[in-house]
Amino acid sequence: MNAPPSPSHLSSGQAARPPRPGPVRDVVAVVLVAVPLGLALLGPLVAGAAPERTQPFLPDAGWLGSDFVGRDVWRQVLLGGWSIIATALCATVLAYLVGAPIGLAAAMTRRRWVDEALLRPLDILLALPSLLLMLLLASIAPPTAWTVVGIVALINLPDVARIVRAGALEVARRTSVEAMWLQGESRVAIAVVFIGRAVLRTLAADAGVRVVGAFYLVAAASFLGVGTGPDTSDWAVMVDVNRDGIFLTPWGVLVPAMLLVALSMGLNLLFDRLLSRRRHEEHTL
Amino acid sequence: MWRYAARRVGFGGIQILAVALLAFALVEALPGDAAVALAADDPDPRTIARIRERMGLDQPVTVRFWEWLTGLFRADLGTSLVSGRPVTDILAAALAPTLTLAAIALALLLPLAVGLGVLAALREGGAVDRAITSASVSLYSVPEFALAIVLVAVFALQLGWLPPTAVGVSSLLAQPAVLVLPLVVLLARPICSISRLVRAGMIEALGSDYVEHAHRLGLSGRRVRYAHALPNALAPAAAQISRTTDWLLGGVVVEAVFVIPGLGTELVNAVAARDIPVIQGLALLFAMTTVAVNLAADLVAFRLAPRTEVVA
Amino acid sequence: MPPTPRPVGLSRRGFLGATAVTLAATACAPSTGGGSAPSTGGRLRAAFAGGGAQEVLDPHQVSLFVDAARAKALYDKLADQGSDMAVVPRLAESWEPGPDLTTWRVRLREATFHDGSPVRAADVLYSYARILDPEQGHRAKSDLAPIDIEASHAVDERTIEFVLHHPFAEFSNILAAFGAYIVPEGATQFDTPVGSGPFSFVSFEPGRNFVVRRFDDYWEGAPRLDELEIVVSNEESARINALLGGQVDYAHDISATTARAQQGEDSVNLVSSPNSNMMGFAMKLDRPPFDDLRVRQAMFALCDRRELVDTVLSGEGSVGNDLFGKGFKYYAADIAQRERDLDTARRLLREAGAENLPVTLETADVAAGFPEAASVFADQMRAAGIDATVNQRNPDTYWADTLDGGHLSVNRSGAMPIGSHISQRLLSDSPTNVTKWQREEFDALYTKLQSTADETERAGYYERMQRQLHEEGGYLIWGFANWIVATGAQVRGVEQAPANTLDWARFDKVWLE
Repeated sequence: MNAPPSPSHLSSGQAARPPRPGPVRDVVAVVLVAVPLGLALLGPLVAGAAPERTQPFLPDAGWLGSDFVGRDVWRQVLLGGWSIIATALCATVLAYLVGAPIGLAAAMTRRRWVDEALLRPLDILLALPSLLLMLLLASIAPPTAWTVVGIVALINLPDVARIVRAGALEVARRTSVEAMWLQGESRVAIAVVFIGRAVLRTLAADAGVRVVGAFYLVAAASFLGVGTGPDTSDWAVMVDVNRDGIFLTPWGVLVPAMLLVALSMGLNLLFDRLLSRRRHEEHTL
Repeated sequence: MWRYAARRVGFGGIQILAVALLAFALVEALPGDAAVALAADDPDPRTIARIRERMGLDQPVTVRFWEWLTGLFRADLGTSLVSGRPVTDILAAALAPTLTLAAIALALLLPLAVGLGVLAALREGGAVDRAITSASVSLYSVPEFALAIVLVAVFALQLGWLPPTAVGVSSLLAQPAVLVLPLVVLLARPICSISRLVRAGMIEALGSDYVEHAHRLGLSGRRVRYAHALPNALAPAAAQISRTTDWLLGGVVVEAVFVIPGLGTELVNAVAARDIPVIQGLALLFAMTTVAVNLAADLVAFRLAPRTEVVA
Repeated sequence: MPPTPRPVGLSRRGFLGATAVTLAATACAPSTGGGSAPSTGGRLRAAFAGGGAQEVLDPHQVSLFVDAARAKALYDKLADQGSDMAVVPRLAESWEPGPDLTTWRVRLREATFHDGSPVRAADVLYSYARILDPEQGHRAKSDLAPIDIEASHAVDERTIEFVLHHPFAEFSNILAAFGAYIVPEGATQFDTPVGSGPFSFVSFEPGRNFVVRRFDDYWEGAPRLDELEIVVSNEESARINALLGGQVDYAHDISATTARAQQGEDSVNLVSSPNSNMMGFAMKLDRPPFDDLRVRQAMFALCDRRELVDTVLSGEGSVGNDLFGKGFKYYAADIAQRERDLDTARRLLREAGAENLPVTLETADVAAGFPEAASVFADQMRAAGIDATVNQRNPDTYWADTLDGGHLSVNRSGAMPIGSHISQRLLSDSPTNVTKWQREEFDALYTKLQSTADETERAGYYERMQRQLHEEGGYLIWGFANWIVATGAQVRGVEQAPANTLDWARFDKVWLE
């Protein structure tokens, strides 16, 4: 499997006006996020002890049937949300923590060589096929959750840096910032207080889809056999390991897939909503 | 523009070499080598040592990389460690089906994604926009193999309209029916993402001072939309298409599900076999394509909207 | 050694994973088509998993199932294994030992290569010398090791006298060894291969397809098919889809899950062959904790074989008794079947001072059922108070890694004679002795066995060796998986046979209706 096309496709960072928000839409968005999130957070608390294993892909076992090693699908659903959400969030945060300062620094500098020195290595990463990167890293690194976090963050890094740089550059060229320069404001102050704040909007637009992208990168990693002990409970992994039995009992694939789709859609709607409110505020100010 | 292009080409060359070096280093760092992989469940150390010698893997890393690099300048990519066939032949064979699929996908992707994006943008907030936006977000979130399973089950096995796989088909173009389902699966996500991007860019452009100015000048709405706003909206889309190309070239899942012996399949096989010359050749090919498409996309973006800041 | 499908392509979990609805009804049906006379003609398309551009046609380098299927269509061995591992003559008409079992005289039948030249003693000697070439790592090399190829010679055009380094009573196993194909004298390139097999070469695209046509002068009678095409599809789901869509007539290596989903479909016949694949765990005897016999016996006792067969194999298999080769010649079927006994297991662990013993179980997604077996067995160990951890390894190097690394690993083996299993894995100097079972008296028994011409006496030795292994060995063999292939309804003559035996992937006896 391949890394999905960069999530930045979904939102360019130049936040567009989303469709006008309405109360129904808000409720839908909240429900879409709350159900999977609630299951993920509370699931492990209520999952209880493992019932006896049954035969694999048995539709009558439990109320969602059994999975590829005869475990109860419902229990796996309860247990499997936490790790995928944590992994995807960690990876996204890590990509921002490393990528945003690089992008900011590149945008702020007045020296061309610094800009180049910061971005060129990332461009090389961009030219290395993500499939190859994933295959190789997956084989080298120990198969743990942190490896997955690292790989997903690394694949996202060049995109994040570029988006932040592009967003910051636009702001940095504004006359107000030029004026601050001339007034002798410190570079850090400008970066953090002014540009950083302006770039936040770009990041908010980007974050929703990037988390979604991360879900599927984790699933892709599972497909390539990294980060997935056979004992792992994880929605993205479930989608992959249970697909052989989809014609016998579909729930082992459908339920975790639908939870991920719901979470993805909900997150996107919420971020859109957030964005339009900010935009609205800006316009009225 | 030409100076810009020349600089980009120069950097592209460095990028490609760096990728080759990086790929070599990563493969070297992999546990086991081609000899171990070939011995499989018969890992007799003596056999492995013999295979290793036959493959020339007992040579130092530096010597092997130098040989590969100098071969590169003679347009010689070496031979497969496992089968002994020239890497160029292997690449050519795997390239044909992937290229066919990717080219058709790209040709369909642009009009479809742009059309949907523009349509949504012009009906911003309306029912059409909402339908397109929600459909694209949800379709984007569906795992591609799930989409493939459903499509094959319905259109190939139940209805019997289309062949379920391309197994044994020597040329994809000779039997275009086998291309339909792979194309749909391959296109699903890029269409969603790029149409959203076009929509965003279009809305932004339509609201800009520049377009308002054009309106004030008395240009027709149509003309403003397609001659002025659209090019600006396309620029970011064009700049992002390179990532899509990467996606189209390495469609392992689509290739596996529909039995298309292309580049992605070959890469997975080559990594499993630790066949370094083949992996290197593939990395080079991927890098060259990515760099070329990136360059083309940036140049297009540069032409479409010179004011856009292009990360050079 | 019969090959594992090397980890090619994507998910290899396919094979084992559904419930135990029995397939017996469909399984046995298709060998003869309701008494109707076999028809001739047509092209059969068979789908196998493959290895991409790395595939070669050199029959001495076979490694994947698809390699073996192709080699089998083009080439012949001197002998081959039947479904119970008894040796069946092929190109060799007969083999007679000298008095001390160190020389064997092999008589060839009349057969011709595809180019019309006869199969001669010189071709056999050339082929065996090529396999034994120390410069190459050919697959059958370790099987052929007893042969002193320098001293072996042709007696006449169709008679060879093989000289061995030491007495070897089961010489015929060598003739039937995996990959010991006969090529014409002097053959070095295999782009347009010439063999003596039932089909002659037409075309080959590595990783894609392979076409052969009927060889009318085949010594056993020409095949019924006009043409055979072998296509490559790594995904099991794609193979079955291609079969359902009528794109292929034969799909090799079908998972129990798929088999169950396709049950009752008129358009598909399932052929399920028992005792094909040994499934087990290998404990290393030369290091803690399994250097302690009590710990090994505790492991034997805590294992719930039925649960493993039901979950990992989806019931498509049978329980094992910690011995290789169930259903094969010389298998010690008299030894009582081990049952789960948690109390005994706990007692043994207590006696060994190994309560809460930390154990790491190595596995990899290298063959069907491996991750699943590790998951299930880890739970079983935990139930007996063992602190079990599963270590998921890199599939590409798993076999080399676990030969010397770790202390407990998931293990499997394809079908082979019990003697070959012993010589390759259980002697002090065996090349792949994964359990580190190194006993001088056991080695001596094997040497004695191979110097004994009398078959009953040999059977006695086999029994003694297996009792030792059952009592104290390092292999915990919990089951034997069935091997499933699916064919279109129009295909007849596909026999049940463990993979890599004579009747497996044997297309010269198959016909289309």
